[in-house]
Amino acid sequence: MPFTLRPRSRSSVEPNIPTASMGDIAFLIIIFFMTTSIFSREKGLKIVLPEKGAETKIKSENILTVAVNQTGQVLIGDRVVNIPEVSTLVREELDKNPELAVALRVSRKAPYQTMIEVFDQLKVAKAERISLMPVQEEEGGGQ
Amino acid sequence: MRRIGLKKATTPNIPTASTADIAFLLIIFFMVSTHFRTEKGLKVNLPKAEMTERILKRRNVAAVWIDATGKMTVNDNLVTPSSITALMTEKVIENPELVVLLQADKDVKYGYVTDVLEALKDARALKVTFATSYGKGGGG
Repeated sequence: MPFTLRPRSRSSVEPNIPTASMGDIAFLIIIFFMTTSIFSREKGLKIVLPEKGAETKIKSENILTVAVNQTGQVLIGDRVVNIPEVSTLVREELDKNPELAVALRVSRKAPYQTMIEVFDQLKVAKAERISLMPVQEEEGGGQ
Repeated sequence: MRRIGLKKATTPNIPTASTADIAFLLIIFFMVSTHFRTEKGLKVNLPKAEMTERILKRRNVAAVWIDATGKMTVNDNLVTPSSITALMTEKVIENPELVVLLQADKDVKYGYVTDVLEALKDARALKVTFATSYGKGGGG
């Protein structure tokens, strides 16, 4: 059975799939994805919380306490400071003592914005060890 | 019916065979980078922070929303800190790489945030990100 089924005259007509509109279809889908997509709005400041019950003991001389009191004042140790100064002050302390851990004590009544600003400043100062200390009582950080 | 001038027989044309390929390439890019927003969340004004960084793997993100009055939602359900613990415990078991994105309003009292943080600690959801928008702080 040699290939004699096809008449020779028909083989000159090439079968083809129309692909002219493929691009249009694809661009339509693109437009759909473009309008529905949201470019990563998930941005923020990272922190890893300590595990419950696995609190590491840190020598008290290696702890720098940064507190935010009820009115939103920021205290480093006992000194009231302005928020933009926090990063330079913490940076200085870190240069003196690279082991330093920063404890952030924020009053429950303090505005969140202030806490984030201070936290941001600690990040600017490249503080690696930051811990958020929960404040139970309504007494305000600096008492 | 004889054509005069053989050169006119070649019609000029723009090659369009590859536009589909280009378009599909773009589609793949958008498909990979896109994710459909499933929850509405609450209306929050995020605080500004300079060191804002992106969360790279968005599939691992679970959001907790806190609005200015202290209302909290997860998956558009009103929750309390104790129910956050229950919810997040499940999610962490499903995906140990879970990152919790805390979408809190900048005017909320920190007490609500610290309650949520404690709840997350109980749920062992230890990777937390405070959602912020990039920008220099308001200079308070």
